[in-house]
Amino acid sequence: MAVTAGDGLPEAATRRLAGGAWSSGLSVADFASCLDMGMEPVGYVQGYAVMQWSWFMATGGFGTGFGTGFAGIGSGSSRPLQSRGQYVEQWQCPHGFVSAEHRMYGANYELTWLEQSWAMGWGLATSRMVDEAKELGASGVVGVVDAMHSLVSGTTVEFRASGTAVAVPDAPRPATPFSTYLSGQRLAKLIEAGFAPVAVVATLSAVRMVGYCITHYQLAGSTAGSWYGAGAGGVSGVGPVDQVNRAETAARRLAREHVRAQLGTDILHGATLERSEREIGEGDLSIQCTLKGTRVRRFKDFDPLPEATPVVRLA
Amino acid sequence: MTLREEVRQAVTAVASPAHPGSDAAGAPRGTTSDLTIDETLLLHSAGWEPVDLVYGISWWSIPWGVWQWTTGEVQEASAAFTGAVNHAVKQLRQSCEQSGGSGVLGVEVGVRVSSHHVSIELTGTAVRRTGADAHRFEFVSDLSARDFVLLTRAGWWPLGLAAGASFVIAPRRTAREWAAQQGQNVELPNLTQALYLARERAMERMQQSGTAMKAEGIVAVKLREGKASSSARVIQFVAIGTGVHLRTSTHRSVSPEMVVPLDEQVRVFDVKSLRSAASE
Repeated sequence: MAVTAGDGLPEAATRRLAGGAWSSGLSVADFASCLDMGMEPVGYVQGYAVMQWSWFMATGGFGTGFGTGFAGIGSGSSRPLQSRGQYVEQWQCPHGFVSAEHRMYGANYELTWLEQSWAMGWGLATSRMVDEAKELGASGVVGVVDAMHSLVSGTTVEFRASGTAVAVPDAPRPATPFSTYLSGQRLAKLIEAGFAPVAVVATLSAVRMVGYCITHYQLAGSTAGSWYGAGAGGVSGVGPVDQVNRAETAARRLAREHVRAQLGTDILHGATLERSEREIGEGDLSIQCTLKGTRVRRFKDFDPLPEATPVVRLA
Repeated sequence: MTLREEVRQAVTAVASPAHPGSDAAGAPRGTTSDLTIDETLLLHSAGWEPVDLVYGISWWSIPWGVWQWTTGEVQEASAAFTGAVNHAVKQLRQSCEQSGGSGVLGVEVGVRVSSHHVSIELTGTAVRRTGADAHRFEFVSDLSARDFVLLTRAGWWPLGLAAGASFVIAPRRTAREWAAQQGQNVELPNLTQALYLARERAMERMQQSGTAMKAEGIVAVKLREGKASSSARVIQFVAIGTGVHLRTSTHRSVSPEMVVPLDEQVRVFDVKSLRSAASE
């Protein structure tokens, strides 16, 4: 069974969506609110994608995963590089050769393959959900819930997306139904404020940090002022861990840039930014950020709003 | 226009092609915001609008050994916390200025302390006065949009994040003290003093941070305390709030209206109690 976006739905889904009673994932309150807005639930829609998921290149040693992007390493302690548009930055040890274990070089680089895998899994799940909505002749999907979780073993993950397809009679049906994480009163307020939901958008950014000697010492707490300290061009005692700070900042910046690339001139509403970190080894990290929210488009100007009235409940 | 008409208009807008040139170079870029629709509307009513999701993050190292062979405060850890907060706030401010905002609201503050580093993560939404072109940076605040609107209406203005921390290693009793206190429920003065002092130091540092930004007071202070993840004997105290100052000559009352909800309060009872009453 080929179940890729646009290739058709599973047989059972086609039968389920073809007739009988409609289904809805909305709470009763949200259901009532949707009806009040003129949105009629037409079916519970869902999409899934199971993917092989491993860290492959993320666990590789120094220099792995970004190919020739690291060429040109040389003088200077920190130099930003751009390789095929991805984030790459390098650090060099200030001490010279010390021992075979000494971390002579360090690098931060974007794990584009991981970002692309995540985008593929999430994109397949959400587009399949939207395909089901299309099958139902819906105008959009409200109350979207999405998740990524491990299946069976840690190397298999499932992306899932579900929501309630709604039809808006008397309105032109969009070629691609809109989708939003919002439903009920929050969606009503969004529309009343002049924003039309366009689509749920999400992105993952991933940055791998291979620590050089100074970062390694700092993360191990070995910066109490011995020979590799300030006198040797490194750092001593309490101080900023520059390489990690750059990696953390890059991960967030990349997440925002990736989402912006999907927005055009629209707005990302109700964004949630989540960060996670994986310690690959001592002094080596992989940092991921997921940024998701509802892409909304302004379709009318804000109605002038009076100042809100403060109230005290006497309940 | 009724809500149903507005919904139809919104769906029509989605069905029509996106703004021409929306993806073209030089076109205005999309904005990002983690505010809820309620907060967006409330800010709008007060003449503000979200501009972008902004962040600041800083890791500072703590040398090995500072947690051992010591009692009382771990000065290095407190210094690392202060350095990391200042660095993260600076980044947040730069991020805000780059996006054209004049302040950051609803800053979520993440604090992680491990044996070898402290990390501070700040995430918030940059805001500016509606339609304003020229921006002068004014504030960073962990207040919500609702609190910001209420605060400014009362004549006060946020200035920045005020923060202070203290990390203390619970002192051990001497063998003589231990022996003397056996079999009694008595105060452990060394612990009381150490923890009391650490709390006060964290608050004092937060206050100093507020004074440095010329704040008259600090609102919405959150005092976090607990064991450090790296050692059960290390207790951390972190105090964070928003430094504010009065912009008007006097405090203005917001004069809230009193409302009485007419809906019945739901009475909660335990079904089991009815059963037992019936069986008696």
